[in-house]
Amino acid sequence: MSLRISTAPHMHNPLTTQRLMQYVFIALLPTAAWGVYAFGLKALLVLILSMASAVLAEYLWQLIAKQPVRIKDFSALVTGLILGLNLPATAPWWMVVVGSVFAVIVVKQLFGGLGDNFLNPAMAARAVLLASWPVHMTSSAFVSPTFFKAGVDAVSAATPLSAKSATLMELFLGQIPGTIGEVSKAAILLGFLFLLITGTISWRIPVVMTGSVFLFSLLIGGMTPEAALMATLSGGVLFGAVFMATDYVTSPITPLAQVFYACMIGLIIVLIRTFGSYPEGVTYGILLMNIATPLIDRFLPRKIYGHQKEAKKA
Amino acid sequence: MSEKKSLGKVLFNGIIPENPTFRLVLGTCPTLAVTTSALNGLGMGAAATFVLVCSNFAISLLRKFIPDQVRIPAFIVVICTFVTMVQLLMKAFLPSLDESLGIFIPLIVVNCIILARAEAFASKNPPIASACDGLGMGIGFTLALTLMGAIRELIGNGSVFGLNILGSSYEPMLLIVLASGGFLTFGLLLGVFNLIVKKIERSRVAKEAKTA
Amino acid sequence: MLTKTFKRGIHPLHNMHEGKGQTRDLKTREYVSDTVVISMAMNIGAPAKPCVKKGDHVDIGQVIGEAQGFMSVPVHASVSGEVVAVDSIPSLGAGNVQAVTIKNDFADTWVELKPLGSVEKVDPSLVVPAIQAAGITGMGGASFPTHVKLTFQAGATCDTIIVNGAECETHLTADYRLMLENSTRIVDGLRAVMRALNVKKGVIGIEDNKPEAITAMINASKGREGVSIRPLKTKYPQGGEKQLIEAITGRQVPSGGLPIAAHVVVLNVGTCAAIADAIIDGKPLISRICTVTGCVRKPANLLLRIGTITEDVIGECGGYSETPGKVVFGGMMTGICIPNDQMPIFKSTNGIVVLNEQQSRSKDESPCIHCGRCVAACPIGLNPYQIKVAADKSDFAAAEKLHVMDCILCGSCAYQCPSRRWLTPSFKYCKDHITAEAKAKAAAAAAAKGGNK
Repeated sequence: MSLRISTAPHMHNPLTTQRLMQYVFIALLPTAAWGVYAFGLKALLVLILSMASAVLAEYLWQLIAKQPVRIKDFSALVTGLILGLNLPATAPWWMVVVGSVFAVIVVKQLFGGLGDNFLNPAMAARAVLLASWPVHMTSSAFVSPTFFKAGVDAVSAATPLSAKSATLMELFLGQIPGTIGEVSKAAILLGFLFLLITGTISWRIPVVMTGSVFLFSLLIGGMTPEAALMATLSGGVLFGAVFMATDYVTSPITPLAQVFYACMIGLIIVLIRTFGSYPEGVTYGILLMNIATPLIDRFLPRKIYGHQKEAKKA
Repeated sequence: MSEKKSLGKVLFNGIIPENPTFRLVLGTCPTLAVTTSALNGLGMGAAATFVLVCSNFAISLLRKFIPDQVRIPAFIVVICTFVTMVQLLMKAFLPSLDESLGIFIPLIVVNCIILARAEAFASKNPPIASACDGLGMGIGFTLALTLMGAIRELIGNGSVFGLNILGSSYEPMLLIVLASGGFLTFGLLLGVFNLIVKKIERSRVAKEAKTA
Repeated sequence: MLTKTFKRGIHPLHNMHEGKGQTRDLKTREYVSDTVVISMAMNIGAPAKPCVKKGDHVDIGQVIGEAQGFMSVPVHASVSGEVVAVDSIPSLGAGNVQAVTIKNDFADTWVELKPLGSVEKVDPSLVVPAIQAAGITGMGGASFPTHVKLTFQAGATCDTIIVNGAECETHLTADYRLMLENSTRIVDGLRAVMRALNVKKGVIGIEDNKPEAITAMINASKGREGVSIRPLKTKYPQGGEKQLIEAITGRQVPSGGLPIAAHVVVLNVGTCAAIADAIIDGKPLISRICTVTGCVRKPANLLLRIGTITEDVIGECGGYSETPGKVVFGGMMTGICIPNDQMPIFKSTNGIVVLNEQQSRSKDESPCIHCGRCVAACPIGLNPYQIKVAADKSDFAAAEKLHVMDCILCGSCAYQCPSRRWLTPSFKYCKDHITAEAKAKAAAAAAAKGGNK
């Protein structure tokens, strides 16, 4: 009789990479659903297009590069969806495709594929689109949600960041103009709750990041607490904190490092909002700290069992 | 130099096997900065080629008189002379190009390619070969810059050499003509070029193995 | 009651309860097979040398393999009967080892035993020699000769004896049953060691998912000098030597050192019971409790003679319930696969777990996504994902810099990895390579020194 031989352990946690990606995908669904409800069929088309082109780009690349095809791991799908949610519903189709292809090919695959990208693919693609076609990516492209202004065609409206017009409740529920995914804080929190319950991410990065945006808005921005709260709920802070800053590959690993990372993102966001020429700094805040992640991981010391005494001696 | 290289080989060397931009990665500063359009790339390349050929030739002539200890300042003086000529000529005859290239024309003085070729080739080889090397390197540089300029102009402006190609409905991708777009294009082209060179090399090695 | 524990670690809890649930309430029963194959390599260190030949008659407890030096223990006949072969069998590691095969005559005749009497009265200086003579090695899995553990180098001091009743491994219930059924013997063994080493404090650590065992041990330790029971949090690898020491004493074993560097000696509950048997009855180590579970028809806790063949054990448990894929000696987290079911059990075999075809299929590695689950799991505080990068490149120097040598191979990181990366196997490979390299270097240095003379 022949038996298999292998080294221990002989048992695994049933959680796989694919399952984790599926959890993130599910967590994004409430946000996506609200986006489609708020901005109509156009938003749905943007999301489908971004997902389809991301998956197709990954599939073709892996085929051409003669790599094992891993589109079943859901990572390209999640990237596509996150990118789509980062776009306004008015985004032209070619821009969506360029963004997805850029995210998957240039940011992810060229650097070695899943796990080796140094930037969050969706975030980097958003930055590229923002720099390339500002007309389609900033306030001029943001339409007010159509559902509560029935009969009125999509009208151009400023983001709350540049014109504080919305009430706190409107901000929270998502009755404001913005990108498809960022508007409804309630839906984002629902996704966050799901990610926490399934143990997909820890609370640290999202909570510390939003907290630090609030805190620094008070301290650096010199805002009143209410205005700081508005600032925290505006723009992509919450969406970025829950779904983009927490990307495993580009965020630090140890708890202390995560807190530092999230804090720094908050600081950069507020600095850009207060002193920069851009109205929104979430994208660059996250991207900058993505780049710093390997450094943070490397230089924050860890206590290793049995090594304390040596450290004291040294 | 003991082994005599054919002039053709020396010339060709600079275009593909030792392309200054994509293989030696020299002179990246003007490469990134001026290649926002094909014309700028071509102009920059032509100016650098002129300086390269002349300085290589002159330095090769002087190579036996320049003491080793002060060769770098001596090279720089020679190079400066030709750069000043180019600059004055350009100001006189191509004022618009001069305007768009701006500071990068005088900066040819400190362009790594020119000093590198003076040091690595012209100071050890006879004048004609040195001039050929300069020409080859210059052509390689020009081709690389023009290619980059063309690509960036096409994507970032929808045109090549000022000719609108993609039509008026094309919405240009601004990023590509910005600084970060320069890095992006340069990096991608660098990768593609190396891929091609490696493929050629591999097939050559395979062929040699077959014949041997 | 306040429970103690160590940092990080994992909770293969659901599986653990499912695993242990099969056997935790089954009383231990004895099983004696008609042939035993007794390996001479029962301990870390030098294997014993057979001192019987084919055709000899042996009694239970008779020495059949003599200890070879200090890092070695004798091997005893576990049944009475005729020696039918002295040959070599494949070992669990690499290569072959010598083994003695005995046909059981079921007469159960013992050699003359020399009991030393009560553990509270025995001359302390006789305890450690008696332990070596009884062939006792660590029964928790590592099979380190116990008398070596109890013999200190000059300058070393010990203030606490820790008895490991954590049994944090999945599926295994052998120690649990022992604690329920033979609690007094465990305390006796602990007392014998405490007196031998003149140590005033003995602590028995038990995970809090075994409340019955905690109660039983508290009752057994009542009125015994210096013995206390410490409930521990249920977490893997709570029973790891270093983790246990940290949980109970708050001290850490310095990197590269043995527990004695933290003034602690750790013994398994099974080892303690065996020590008590050796002192009180004069009996050598010839049997042990072993949990047989997984894909067998009737899982059981069996009291097995050392050298019982796996196939016979499985037969006693009603045979395989499914086509077996892997048979593991030990638990699921650190157990060793055996190549075929002709393998006899060792002094350290605390469990036999049978996995079916599907459970034993090896999983493909997918790329690391830096989720950090391995880092959160590592009880030592290493960065397994970084070490794995170095290991994949065979960059042993980098792996060593990342402290791969501190890895205890508990398997927590590999268990948690969602990308199913072969973390623990890679680290084992690294450690083996680095150890072998260091040994070769030392040997070369010694040779050079000898040459100079």
